[in-house]
Amino acid sequence: MNKIKIENDIIVESNLNQKVRLSFLEKSQDFMVNKIVIDLLEDTNLEIEYNNENALKLDILIRVAEGVTAKVQEFRNGNLMKIQYRYELDNHSFLNIQKFHHMNGMKELDTIYLNGHNSKIDYTLKTISKVREKYDITVYHEGKNTESMIRTNGVNLLDGSLDFHITGIVPNGKTGAKLDQKNRIINLNNQKCSIHPNLFIDEYDVVANHSAWIGKFREDELFYLESRGLSETLAMNLLVKGFLLSNLELSNKRKEELVSIINQYWR
Amino acid sequence: MHTLKIEHLTVEVENKIILKDFNLEIKSGEIHAIMGPNGTGKSTLSKVIMGYPGYHILEGTITYDDTIMNDLSVDKRAKLGLFLGMQMPLEIEGVTNADFLRSALNEKEKENFHLMKFIKKLDATVESLDMEKEMIHRGVNVGFSGGERKKNEILQMYMLEPTCVLLDEIDSGLDVDSLRIVGNHVMKYFKKEEPAVLLITHYQRLLEYIKPTHIHVMVDGSIVKSGDYDLVKEIETFGYDKFKKNGTHIIEEMKTHE
Repeated sequence: MNKIKIENDIIVESNLNQKVRLSFLEKSQDFMVNKIVIDLLEDTNLEIEYNNENALKLDILIRVAEGVTAKVQEFRNGNLMKIQYRYELDNHSFLNIQKFHHMNGMKELDTIYLNGHNSKIDYTLKTISKVREKYDITVYHEGKNTESMIRTNGVNLLDGSLDFHITGIVPNGKTGAKLDQKNRIINLNNQKCSIHPNLFIDEYDVVANHSAWIGKFREDELFYLESRGLSETLAMNLLVKGFLLSNLELSNKRKEELVSIINQYWR
Repeated sequence: MHTLKIEHLTVEVENKIILKDFNLEIKSGEIHAIMGPNGTGKSTLSKVIMGYPGYHILEGTITYDDTIMNDLSVDKRAKLGLFLGMQMPLEIEGVTNADFLRSALNEKEKENFHLMKFIKKLDATVESLDMEKEMIHRGVNVGFSGGERKKNEILQMYMLEPTCVLLDEIDSGLDVDSLRIVGNHVMKYFKKEEPAVLLITHYQRLLEYIKPTHIHVMVDGSIVKSGDYDLVKEIETFGYDKFKKNGTHIIEEMKTHE
């Protein structure tokens, strides 16, 4: 698998084949952040791993070439991070994004441009929020027959607060678009969390759905698991694992790592 | 020998009294079927025995062997040997059946848990219940039909080997074939393990497969009549109306007596 490993603001490892091109742009004069461009040129999988001890700012552009199907998985662990992504998808391309975050603070702005006709994105974000986290994800359906599925799931605990702002935009004339949002926050510390699901649609030929849910795990779910002999902590552990690991396609090694992170809190 | 004993149980749910001075004793090797019209408190009974949160016991006791369970947590009741097969088993996304069962058995058997033994038994039971093998790797009850959910409850019962089984309308949502499979499996388990069984149902058809040793008619939160299988025929002939009138009468009498 193609892999990029970033520690603090340095790329410490990049093991890439010809299907992925990595380039660096000079630091933006305005924000003084590192800019990285990743071009996905052929069908491929890419893993990006972030480990940062210091606060980190990054600006990343991911471009998916025409007809390419790609999966990009991200695993973040560490200190405060401010990150800005721009995704650009060409005609008939499909991008599957899977992110798992375990950070001490996160601010992320993702802008997704479905520029090409029949381009499609399936985006999954899973996070354990223990400080303040804010995600702003906007999808522009610029081509015809484009599809977006945005799935954001967070467990909020300790001193965390979590905000999801998810926006889908379809301009007039961009027919055949399908938009779907599934946003859910399990709020375990009763601090303020919010979900803002927005759909701005200026076209009739569109299918759009969104769901937003903030709360604890349902009492019935815990009862069901506990009625089979699982303690409350173990039942929570299973529910959190199910919530945070579903929709992620993980290798056994990576799954073990993520399970051990979850077990830090619920064991 | 195990005994589930319910004495003078009065239960309140959302400021409404659902069970009134309810009494019942079930021993190992006995199947007690509770029948009654909708909204009479049958499901409340099974849930309160299992310790469902929000159901308040105002009076009375629920005892399993020597343990008073009134204040016992749900998982501890399960560890004593109780199992509740639910009327509407929940979907739990992301938690696979296999993980769920492995965790539950691991918790029960601790160091005696053997993975290979678990897998063998699971595979054999899945096949015997005529379930799709891949269902075991799907989220708990996710995308399952009504019949598949009920079979999944029976699968869990077989895997966890409870000594006291509470089955809340295990026949609802089952087609003829699934009813036969589920009914026969409950009986097979009963003959092998001889648990104490509380069976809640509206209909006689389940009793063609599961043969109760005792029948009770429940109306307005209390048992109004108990008997043997002949009582089922009486219900089939006259419906519950007859018992409703009698039940109201009995409860009124009880109140007057107090």
